[in-house]
Amino acid sequence: MTTVLSIQNIHKIFGDLEVLKGIDVNVEKSETIVILGASGSGKSTLLRCINFMEVPTSGRIVLSGKTIGKETAGKVIYNEAELNALRTRVGMVFQHFNLFPHMTVRENVMEGPRTVLKCDKDECGRRASKYLDKVGLGWKSEAYPSQLSGGQQQRVAIARALAMEPDIMLFDEATSALDPELVGEVLETIKELADEGMTMLIVTHELGFAYTVADRVLFLSEGRILEQGTPAEVLVYPKQDGTKNFLKGHGSFRLPEPKLD
Amino acid sequence: MGYDWDFWVVFREFGLLMHGLINTLKVTGLSLTFGVPLGLCLALLRLYGNWPIRVPVGIIIEFFRATPPIAQLFWFFFALPILIGVEIDPFKASVLTFSLQSSAFFAEVFRGGIVSIDKGQWEAAKAIGMNRNKSLKRIILPQAVKRMIPAFLERAIELMKTTTLVGTISYADLLYEANTIAQSTYRSLEVFTVAAGIYFVIIFVCSIGVRQLERRMARTGETTAH
Ligand SMILES: Nc1ncnc2c1ncn2[C@@H]1O[C@H](COP(=O)(O)OP(=O)(O)OP(=O)(O)O)[C@@H](O)[C@H]1O
Ligand SMILES: [Mg+2]
Repeated sequence: MTTVLSIQNIHKIFGDLEVLKGIDVNVEKSETIVILGASGSGKSTLLRCINFMEVPTSGRIVLSGKTIGKETAGKVIYNEAELNALRTRVGMVFQHFNLFPHMTVRENVMEGPRTVLKCDKDECGRRASKYLDKVGLGWKSEAYPSQLSGGQQQRVAIARALAMEPDIMLFDEATSALDPELVGEVLETIKELADEGMTMLIVTHELGFAYTVADRVLFLSEGRILEQGTPAEVLVYPKQDGTKNFLKGHGSFRLPEPKLD
Repeated sequence: MGYDWDFWVVFREFGLLMHGLINTLKVTGLSLTFGVPLGLCLALLRLYGNWPIRVPVGIIIEFFRATPPIAQLFWFFFALPILIGVEIDPFKASVLTFSLQSSAFFAEVFRGGIVSIDKGQWEAAKAIGMNRNKSLKRIILPQAVKRMIPAFLERAIELMKTTTLVGTISYADLLYEANTIAQSTYRSLEVFTVAAGIYFVIIFVCSIGVRQLERRMARTGETTAH
């Protein structure tokens, strides 16, 4: 097995609030990891430290065997060009999609390959078609984001990230902003990516989805990994009280069995 | 008390009025040509420069916004030549004044437009590896400019109206020529009515044009639905 991403002893402090208190995770190729945790436990911050949307206060990020930043005299120096290059290899999908509203769907997907990766015209076109087809939206190429449903917008955002052909994909509550009836199509798209062997870190509150898609579940509590294991180990037979309480809280929202006759 | 209107004298001197109009358009057009890009530069420096740049740029912008345009015009026409020892003709002084003056206003329009763009747009651009310049050029500015159009138009109209001050340093703009005609023909009422009409038509036509443009751009979906 090859390790795609190695997160080593990451700490993140905002002012005097220590949000991440030493996180270690190794992500293997094709592995799908779901990160769970209460609001404020540091899930988003952890994802954002991986692609340096936030710079970790200390610790190390190693992507595909390459350590990010230069260590001199105990301090790590990050250079902007290096971080931008790293970000081209880490795809991120946001809760609020953040599509570029002034560009068509196709232009949204081509933007990264064209202006950042400097792919030629044929390659940009090939990627746009390939990844829009993958999320099932090839037929919406010429539409503008405002003309799409939330679920469609999020699938375009996924295609936009995929078009960079990244080593790993990060999803931060990709379905939290969606109407309930639109959640399914986005989760299905993510599930397909998992089945195709994409390496992914997923923050979600959809426990059923976490159970089916994850190879491994991490439970984050107050900036530490409280518990981790297979979906069954963490979601069905949790050992820690923190995890049990979290699952209890979610259990109360479970829908009653539908009565069909 | 019937006033005996006589527009004939105005039409006889129409060449002079047109000459003035062309000068008005020249000063306005050139000031826009210099003022808009300069305004963008000032806005970017004020937003993203480190403080030794940000602070003086902010002071310059506020200075031009907080002093009367006519005082600025006099300063560049009468005072600056003393300082640099070179005569500045009324045309150059006018263009210089109104380029700088309008750039200060455009800087604030640009700044307002840029900061109004959702933080998520910056993040999305960053997440696909764009640096700040590329994000600005490709993602932020195109959206900001679209939103700025009404404010931009308002500033441009304001600028055209303010250029009527150039007559005070004897630059022969539309109003200056109208005044000349009025003095020689004693037909102030007709001449100034026509002059005002010309300003009105130009500004009105521009407004309609921009509104049309806005409508066309709005059709290509401005907002991201949540
Ligand atoms: N840029 C920031 N500056 C200051 N504090 C921040 C910043 N970003 C996050 N925090 C704080 O860090 C803590 C963890 O935030 P984070 O967004 O990582 O939590 P989360 O687990 O993603 O929560 P949620 O489920 O609500 O999204 C919170 O207390 C938050 O207020
Ligand atoms: Mg979060």
